[in-house]
Amino acid sequence: MCQYCMTHGYGKTWYKNAMNYARQMYKLKKGKSSKDLGRDPEGAAALIIAEAVEARGLKPEEFPRLRHMANKVAQEMVVGQVVTLEDAMTMVELASPIALMGCICRKITRGRLEDNEDSYTCMGLGIGMFKWDRWPERYKGGVHFVTVEEAKQWLTKWHKKGMVASLMTHGTPYIGGLCMCDYPDCLAIRYRLDYGINQLIKGEFVAIVDYDKCTGCGTCVERCQFGAIKFEVTIEKTNIDQFRCFGCGVCQTTCPADAITMVDRKTLPGLKEVW
Amino acid sequence: MAFDWEDPRPIPKMEVDHQKCTVPLTCKKCLELCPQAVFALNTIKYVKYVENDINEPGAYKVTPRHRDKCTGCMECVKACPNDAITVQFEEGVAK
Repeated sequence: MCQYCMTHGYGKTWYKNAMNYARQMYKLKKGKSSKDLGRDPEGAAALIIAEAVEARGLKPEEFPRLRHMANKVAQEMVVGQVVTLEDAMTMVELASPIALMGCICRKITRGRLEDNEDSYTCMGLGIGMFKWDRWPERYKGGVHFVTVEEAKQWLTKWHKKGMVASLMTHGTPYIGGLCMCDYPDCLAIRYRLDYGINQLIKGEFVAIVDYDKCTGCGTCVERCQFGAIKFEVTIEKTNIDQFRCFGCGVCQTTCPADAITMVDRKTLPGLKEVW
Repeated sequence: MAFDWEDPRPIPKMEVDHQKCTVPLTCKKCLELCPQAVFALNTIKYVKYVENDINEPGAYKVTPRHRDKCTGCMECVKACPNDAITVQFEEGVAK
């Protein structure tokens, strides 16, 4: 069981616990921000993580220490978890209001400015969105409020294009965002895969291929953002490394033979502690 | 592909001359073209927590944050309209 399900989910899936979307949690965040993080704890956390990443190239001998610190800050302030499309749909039913916004990671890594409803790839959940709407010049151009139905269509649209849905906390366990991520644009995926900073933890599911059904068409291989899927040439089937799988379900949706199933991580003894 | 931070890859010396590169978010050639997504955009200028006009010189800075991922393909050096980027590996493969 993942640590957040234990501490914030009463033993069940923590992001399905409506308490983690509650207004009160958003308020709690302020008290949590300790003296060194100042008035913008998420921003400060992002800076600490970025400093660690930069140290990997500038002063490698400092990196292990800074990485340890970044790990800790990330878990406290801005942790993410990969969710399947179905779970993301449950999340938008729990949270209110829902608003679409431009992705901050893509602005940093690719200079991409998402400023219209078609290009938005990030979703903000909860009470904080009123603030973003009220002062658009302060909050990266403001947001676009949507209904639950529109949010589901939006999730499906990006999921079909091959993006990974992952939740984001703003002061764990307050769930304040649902992002559509890919490698290398998304900083959370990047930091996890390339720098070992656990800003993004794995999802509750893992993908398993049914070799009897798999036709070896290779459609799923190109969709995996985590490099978990390989084409096994000798048997002409897809092979999924379940230790690398993050359980986003992007491969499952695209499989024409319906050969991939998402299995609960907790049912596999070797994987249930791998997050 | 386990993460290994003791990986002894050569890491280049990369510099972005902020005197020459003043409006990175308007140009963003290096950001878009780097195959390893080495560069990151930092917002420098906030006025009362508000980001400024993207065309204002000096409001944003591009830094090679993921420089340990650089392969030395020199695409960014070729593409930069202001010749602001230098990449140098230890062997002396200069710009």
